[in-house]
Amino acid sequence: MKIRVNSDKRAKDIPKLSKELCERMLRDLEGARRPVLEATKCSLDNSLYNPKVGFLTPGEKMVRTELNVSSVQKMSRSIFMLEILLRNLEVGAVNTKRELYYIAKGEVKHNPHLRPLDFQEQDESDSIVDFICEMMEIYREEVNCFANDRGGQTYSQQLVVTERLPDGDKAVVDLGSLGTTPFQPKNRPQALTLKAKKKIDFCLIVESEGTANTLVTNGFTRRHNCILMGAQGVPSNGVRGWCKLIQEQLGVPMYFFGDLDAYTMQNIYRTLKAGSAASLIRNKDFSAPEVRFLGVLPEDVKKYDLHDYGVKENDPSEARALKKARDALENDPFFRDKKNKNLSDILKWLIKNKRRCEQQALFMVNPKDPTMPEQIIVEKIKKGIYV
Amino acid sequence: MAKSITSSSTAEYFAKNLQQVGFSSPTKAVLTTLKEAVDNSLDACESESILPELEVQITKVGAGSQKNTDQIQIIVEDNGPGIEPEDLAKVFGEYLASSKFGRGQCSRGQQGIGISAATTWAQLTSAEGVIVVSKTKKMRKAIRALVEVDIKGNKGLLKNKETFDWKKPHGVRVEFRMDGRLQLNGDGGLVTYLEGTTLVNPHLSLKYKLHDQDWVEVDRVSKDIPAIPPPTKPHPHILKLGEFIAFAVLFPKTALGAFMKSSFSRVSDTTLKDMVKNGLPKKLLTAPITKLSDADFKTAFSAIHKTELMAPSTKSVLVVGEESLSKSISRLGEIDFFSVVGRRPRICDFKPVVVEVALARFTNRGHEDEPVQLLRFANRVPLQFDKGACAITKAIESVNWKSYGLNQPKDSLPLGPYVFAVSVVSPFIKFKNASKETIDASDELVEEIRRSLMQAGQKLSRHIRKEDREADLERKLQHIEQFGPMLVEGLVRITKSSAARKKKAEEGLRKLLGRDAQAAEEDLKSAEKDLKKLKAKEAKLVASEEKSEAEA
Repeated sequence: MKIRVNSDKRAKDIPKLSKELCERMLRDLEGARRPVLEATKCSLDNSLYNPKVGFLTPGEKMVRTELNVSSVQKMSRSIFMLEILLRNLEVGAVNTKRELYYIAKGEVKHNPHLRPLDFQEQDESDSIVDFICEMMEIYREEVNCFANDRGGQTYSQQLVVTERLPDGDKAVVDLGSLGTTPFQPKNRPQALTLKAKKKIDFCLIVESEGTANTLVTNGFTRRHNCILMGAQGVPSNGVRGWCKLIQEQLGVPMYFFGDLDAYTMQNIYRTLKAGSAASLIRNKDFSAPEVRFLGVLPEDVKKYDLHDYGVKENDPSEARALKKARDALENDPFFRDKKNKNLSDILKWLIKNKRRCEQQALFMVNPKDPTMPEQIIVEKIKKGIYV
Repeated sequence: MAKSITSSSTAEYFAKNLQQVGFSSPTKAVLTTLKEAVDNSLDACESESILPELEVQITKVGAGSQKNTDQIQIIVEDNGPGIEPEDLAKVFGEYLASSKFGRGQCSRGQQGIGISAATTWAQLTSAEGVIVVSKTKKMRKAIRALVEVDIKGNKGLLKNKETFDWKKPHGVRVEFRMDGRLQLNGDGGLVTYLEGTTLVNPHLSLKYKLHDQDWVEVDRVSKDIPAIPPPTKPHPHILKLGEFIAFAVLFPKTALGAFMKSSFSRVSDTTLKDMVKNGLPKKLLTAPITKLSDADFKTAFSAIHKTELMAPSTKSVLVVGEESLSKSISRLGEIDFFSVVGRRPRICDFKPVVVEVALARFTNRGHEDEPVQLLRFANRVPLQFDKGACAITKAIESVNWKSYGLNQPKDSLPLGPYVFAVSVVSPFIKFKNASKETIDASDELVEEIRRSLMQAGQKLSRHIRKEDREADLERKLQHIEQFGPMLVEGLVRITKSSAARKKKAEEGLRKLLGRDAQAAEEDLKSAEKDLKKLKAKEAKLVASEEKSEAEA
């Protein structure tokens, strides 16, 4: 019998959902029927993009796992891991994937009967955790499995964040009181509520956390009513959820400023704006479709005479990014959509010209004036020079 | 003034150039001597339809005359027809005295150099030739004599002749003492040679003792004595134009058509008609050879080359045969499984060639991580040196063995506990040198060997795949036993279900997975059945090929 956990019914009651799932599997087994587990296929070929929705959503394709001699190991390992996760939820414990790997090892050590379930490498236990999440259409954070908080250091003179703590208490953080110390959003931003003390004009997300830091130290947040955030490369779940939260709760215009290259466009900006194919079931809560691409734009390179350089095609990672860009133009529904033509034009420009320009190049425009990059960014926002 | 020009005898030439005929090192000297003696014995037995029984004894008897050598005694005794006393000196002491030279037969020996070279080597290093014992059926007593080479005159000298009562009704025994070194295993080893020889001579019974090791006895697995094919008429496609004309003018009065039919194999009236279709003016067929111009010969020659002809008869090429090879390979050790392929004769470089391949996996020799043991044969003689340049090695390395389930580093021999035996038989094998160590790697020959290997590889892969399925079934059954109960236990714990439900679910699970196991077993059975069917089909095919060839 087919078992599919309906995402609409998801009331975040994971224990109940799990029990239902196990109950159905048990009932199938009692009747000598094969339980079938279905999970959404999380890949580009099952990604849909509707500009009105704004992020990548899953198509119809499912990955079916039917109980048979080949899948019996995976299924019993999944139930074994599910038990550990349910216990965590019950007592409110949280873990990283690495820790879960060791917890599973500990269970086996204390109960040698379970030895066949032992995970030899962390990859194996990670894929079981992912399988459970995909099958139940939940985020790993919902089963208290967190990654370390990475990226998203945020500065603002106007923003106040309230965090609901697991014990029911509330913590209120006024970002204006932190000076040049950043606020670090948690990997579960859904527990945060935002408030603006004063009208916030915009939110700027800078690809490099270092450059975000420099801008703040040079007085960016003192001169402008804004939120300034460093993404630190490919945005983590924490950064993505945090941006979504800012968009939803504050409704301020949001801009992304990063390098002009294929990698930034596809892996960083696209993920922030529309989510990724690997996280199809989470994109709803982990993407901010309103984020605009402020630069660096091809026209900026010309206008400000920025130093750019050729893509080294013998560098494997740069060559891969270019190849990926060509693939994206053909297969990625986000870049294929008419609404994002300006973005795909940038990709085409990158493929054609094989040049790249880094965000820090703004510092060369007037080397004697440390606020030059700030002036350019603000000018671009004011004049609407973004995509 | 020019220096005076001297001529030297053939024996003198070879005495100075023994390295050219296999005596380039002390180790090779021992092997070559053994090889020449065994080749002669086997050829002699086969020529008289005697099932060969050989006894070989090789012993270190003291220090050699040269630095870093031992004195080695090599004794080879056979039950062959024996050699008439008056021929002994010629056979063992004279170069190029052979009954086989240039006859276009698949015999092991060809030129009549080898055994005389061995006598020369013995003479040069221990001051004594070979002691020969011989007895033919007609002789009441055996003769024993020392044969030496008169190097200046290329003549054999018979010394210390005596007669005595020998228990054998007929046969030859040779005893050499020479400088040498013993190498038993490895590519150039004596054991490798003897094993290879038994492999391609299923009708041979061999008893051997190497130095201080025990006697080893290998019994024959076939009583069929390979009939050495008579020197057959040449196949028209193997001749070049000049050869064709030279051959034709030997029959001046014969009409061209009659000459073609009587002097070549595979030429019939139908062939002549086809030749006419391929551009030969009909009147030329009845014209006598003397009347033909060079242009006419050219027309006739190109017409016959355009005409499709049957491949040369198998009878002109001697084969070991798939069945005999299959039996014979089991004499090398405990076989896990094997695959034997004997191809029909083909023309490669204008010569009929038969390639036979035996691939076998052993449980008691070789290792997973080591290259396979390669046994190369040319006209049923093991080739043991200069492996890299050989057509056989080149062909093996050109095959992608990974697709048949074997490990293979790039452009190398595959790995595993296998013996790859490849035999090339042809009346005219092209060797790279006079010591017959390597088959010249022409493109056509390499391709023919490669095809045989691929055929054998395909058969082998069916065994390997069957094994994989067996391993797969075992793994699946193990999985069911291990993980099934754990899955049920986990579900019962999470749902807090009763023991009764647990029992029922376990039963259900057993039923489900039992069905899977059964399906896997059936899958395996059908793979086995397919393999059997294939074997039967192949056996039938081989039988019908033989039949059609017999008819032809």
